[in-house]
Amino acid sequence: MTATDTTEAPPGVPPDRARRAGRPPALRRDGRYASVFLAPSLGGLALFTLFPTAMALGISLFDWPVFGERKFLGIENYTQLLSDPVFRRVVLNTTLFVVLYVPLNVVVSLGLATWLGPKIKGRQAFRVLFFIPVMTPMVANVMVWRLLFQPGGLLDSGLQSWFGINAPNFLGSSDWAMPAIVAMSIWQGFGYNFLVFSAALDQVPQSQLESAQIDGAGPFQRFRYVTWPMITPSLFFATTMTLITSFQVFAQPFILTQGGPGVSTQTIVMYVYNQGWQFLSMGLASAAGWVLFVIIMGITAIQFVGQRKWVNYDV
Amino acid sequence: MRATPARARRWLTAAGAVLALTAVAACGGGGGGGSDSGSGSADKADLTWQFWIGGTEDQAAWQKVADQAHTDHPGITVKLQGADWNNYWSKIGTLLASGKAPCIIGMQSLRLASYANAMLPLDDLMQKYGLKTEDFDKPIMDGLKSDGKQIAIPYDSGPMVIFYNKDLFKAAGVPDPKPGWTMDEFKAAAKKLTTGGRTGLVTTPGDLGVASWVRTMTGAEPLADGKLNLTDSKFTDGFKGWADFVRTDKIAPQVPSGSTDFETTQFVSGKSAMQLNGPWSLIDTLGKVKFNLGIAPIPAGPDGSKTFTAGSGFGISRSCKTPDAAFQAIMSMTSEKPLTTLAAAGRAYPARIAAHPAWFTAAKIPEAKEVIDYASENSVPLVTSKNWVQVNDLLTRFGTQVLNGEVPPEQALKTIQDQAGAGS
Repeated sequence: MTATDTTEAPPGVPPDRARRAGRPPALRRDGRYASVFLAPSLGGLALFTLFPTAMALGISLFDWPVFGERKFLGIENYTQLLSDPVFRRVVLNTTLFVVLYVPLNVVVSLGLATWLGPKIKGRQAFRVLFFIPVMTPMVANVMVWRLLFQPGGLLDSGLQSWFGINAPNFLGSSDWAMPAIVAMSIWQGFGYNFLVFSAALDQVPQSQLESAQIDGAGPFQRFRYVTWPMITPSLFFATTMTLITSFQVFAQPFILTQGGPGVSTQTIVMYVYNQGWQFLSMGLASAAGWVLFVIIMGITAIQFVGQRKWVNYDV
Repeated sequence: MRATPARARRWLTAAGAVLALTAVAACGGGGGGGSDSGSGSADKADLTWQFWIGGTEDQAAWQKVADQAHTDHPGITVKLQGADWNNYWSKIGTLLASGKAPCIIGMQSLRLASYANAMLPLDDLMQKYGLKTEDFDKPIMDGLKSDGKQIAIPYDSGPMVIFYNKDLFKAAGVPDPKPGWTMDEFKAAAKKLTTGGRTGLVTTPGDLGVASWVRTMTGAEPLADGKLNLTDSKFTDGFKGWADFVRTDKIAPQVPSGSTDFETTQFVSGKSAMQLNGPWSLIDTLGKVKFNLGIAPIPAGPDGSKTFTAGSGFGISRSCKTPDAAFQAIMSMTSEKPLTTLAAAGRAYPARIAAHPAWFTAAKIPEAKEVIDYASENSVPLVTSKNWVQVNDLLTRFGTQVLNGEVPPEQALKTIQDQAGAGS
């Protein structure tokens, strides 16, 4: 398309191009600039996401050891995964983490964001404080929590000296390891959603809350009927993002328990990492990666369909 | 919805990981185009050496070992590259798979079987350049073989031995253990030492430790004819005996999962009086403890004291274009002088017999020589299978459950055997 400042289509240009050329010049220029600015991102997306994703799908159909002969297997990697009790347990663990972590994260971050309303003194300082764990390196966070959790650690010795009882072996017991990881993850991760909710709550007009109060609405009713509908887009954003990232949980169990005891805290991404980089079996790793991809796509799609019922954009 | 920085970062990390996976996959088949695999003739080459490196001090110490090659053969230079222990193995996996691995590769005996396919057997070169195997500790020379072929030349070695806290032994009135002490004597000592919030022993699941305990108790080995042998009744009995230290005897504490340093911190801080360890950690441990450190052989079961040896060495990648030069460099790097220097600096127990005295001098423990000589005589290399990394992973996972009494030992061994069989 040639650059032209007329809004009329030049003769001989097909109607479709004419229509596009017919847009106001400023918009057309914006469009061109936009594509230039988008190009690096799109290139990156293609190179670093789309191509590897497709490649992984290919690899997942092979017995693909890092060294040695590759063999085409068809869907055998997938059938092996689905019949493997360990992988089923790994999927269950990941789901359990999501089911525990996502609601708790939203409740904690929304609760704290609501509590830290405009009337609280030093709320900016609190905001910074709550965001610090999100920014500090995960390894450092996990190290500190391990000192809390392990036998003879801070919790154990504290309970012993105060009450004379032993704490559970948080990281060595199959029943306690997952709750321990969820607790650590919430502490580490709630600051992000907390900021999102804080921003959304600050957008709720005080005048509407006040008029609701004059009409006799109590604090609960004000939250339910005024605040809640106005923050649903943020809630939707936060739950979708948290759900996606929590299905990909890796660092916390990897450093805190290495997926143990047994396989009680092993997650799908950890399974992919172990199969690929530790056991050098790329085909199985890619297949497991694709299983995770399909799960996340499915759940995200369901969320987008479901949002029509509860997310309110017309405020 | 705009990508927030945190979100973008997470996506980028994920994308990066996938790309890395793809990169491996993409160049996996080639084998050609080894740009970094050395160039030159038998006496003239610029070689690169991949090795695990703990930090700058480590780097400097190992570079001195590399420089020995240049001193002996002025035409050869060896440049050291590497990563820390955990990252080293994923890095070396990709390098070997891509056919662009450097000439000289650091290799550990327990991991050798997984990587042996991509390494050059050294037997012909050993004969050509007259490397004498009898100058090295036999167990580790054998431990660095795969299918009967020598894959690497060792620089360190070591049979598993007991480290103990002499001060706690004295306070509890328990005599110092001597070579030949029995399993009953060991348990009685550990029971006496388990008091006042302390335990006599600390043990965590891991291939070398578990296999050594099992071997001394019943003589069973984890592999028989190259196949996993974990459900064999002798192995199960030995494994049960080991697990009982925590489960029923209660002479060792319950363990957390995934804490690789729990055993060491427990021992070093004086909360447990004994641990099974290798001579490679002795001088490092000596620098950390605030008590008198002693060493003893693993206690003797019905057939005597039996333990396993592990160690590491240097091998040559198949993609190396100048294997002769690389082998001469390795000969220099494992010669008496650099190994003596390393030993005197308190690093790993040297694989070369001539360098032993320097290490014993540095260790400053009077009984060290007697104990390690005794343990060496009673040890065999822990020869592993191709999927050993997975076996060790499973052993660590389910071993934790067994020690803490969550899963019966037989059931855990069966799960490991089933899983590792499927994943090999």
